[in-house]
Amino acid sequence: MRAEHINPFIESVYELFRTMLQAKVERGAIGVSSGNHARRDITAIIGISGPTRGTVAIGFPAATAVGMVGRILGTTVHAVDETISDGVSEIVNMVAGSAKAKLKTASEKPLDLGLPTVVLGEKYDVQYPSKAVWLEVPFTSDFGEFNLRVTFETTPQ
Amino acid sequence: MRALVVDDSGVMRKILIGALGRANITEVDQAADGKEAVEAVLMNDYDLVLMDWNMPNMLGIDAVRAIRASGKTMPIIMVTTEAEKGRVIEALKAGANNYVIKPFEPGAIVAKIQEVLQRAK
Repeated sequence: MRAEHINPFIESVYELFRTMLQAKVERGAIGVSSGNHARRDITAIIGISGPTRGTVAIGFPAATAVGMVGRILGTTVHAVDETISDGVSEIVNMVAGSAKAKLKTASEKPLDLGLPTVVLGEKYDVQYPSKAVWLEVPFTSDFGEFNLRVTFETTPQ
Repeated sequence: MRALVVDDSGVMRKILIGALGRANITEVDQAADGKEAVEAVLMNDYDLVLMDWNMPNMLGIDAVRAIRASGKTMPIIMVTTEAEKGRVIEALKAGANNYVIKPFEPGAIVAKIQEVLQRAK
């Protein structure tokens, strides 16, 4: 997996902020990690399958998730509840869905998205059976920080 | 006018109900998957359906096929993260009238709803 494989996902984060969130976001440096997730209060995870298989995870501190989902809904949200879980799952869905259309694979068949999963609480590890590395990008935004992580079991072109 | 919003995300359904309201459609039913959508369409008369693609139980694309197979002709707009050209073509062939890719600007979805309803007149 090469660093440029995460670029479509970074572009998708910027697209989400430009359209639905209408707020500022800035990325940090791309890093590589083994599977232990940076400590976050809420993590939204979604699988990609088809000609290539991978996983996309976005980790949020609670305040960032509350701010982002509140902006999407155009209302004030005060605490992490079902609405926040639902909202962050839609956020990872939009980021992964938009990015997968930009990924080049060996097949013309579109990649498929799974259904998102949301993990609440910071004491957990995400590991990938193939021992593939995760590419990780930290972001800062009007709502606070968050991080995007992507791994592929089989490498896109 | 009466519309059906189909999405497994409650947050997305709220956003779309808000967009329909800005397009002066305030009578809105909701479904959380394709199966519920088909059941709702068979039991009610809608002027418009907004349909997600990736949902549990039945995909939105299969729900569109089932709705068209039942003879219902109301406009259907796919509202989905599926952005590949092939997916758009697949949806239009299945019977969707228009296609909106998430994420979208709030005004863009309202304009698309108005455009589709205008064409359906």
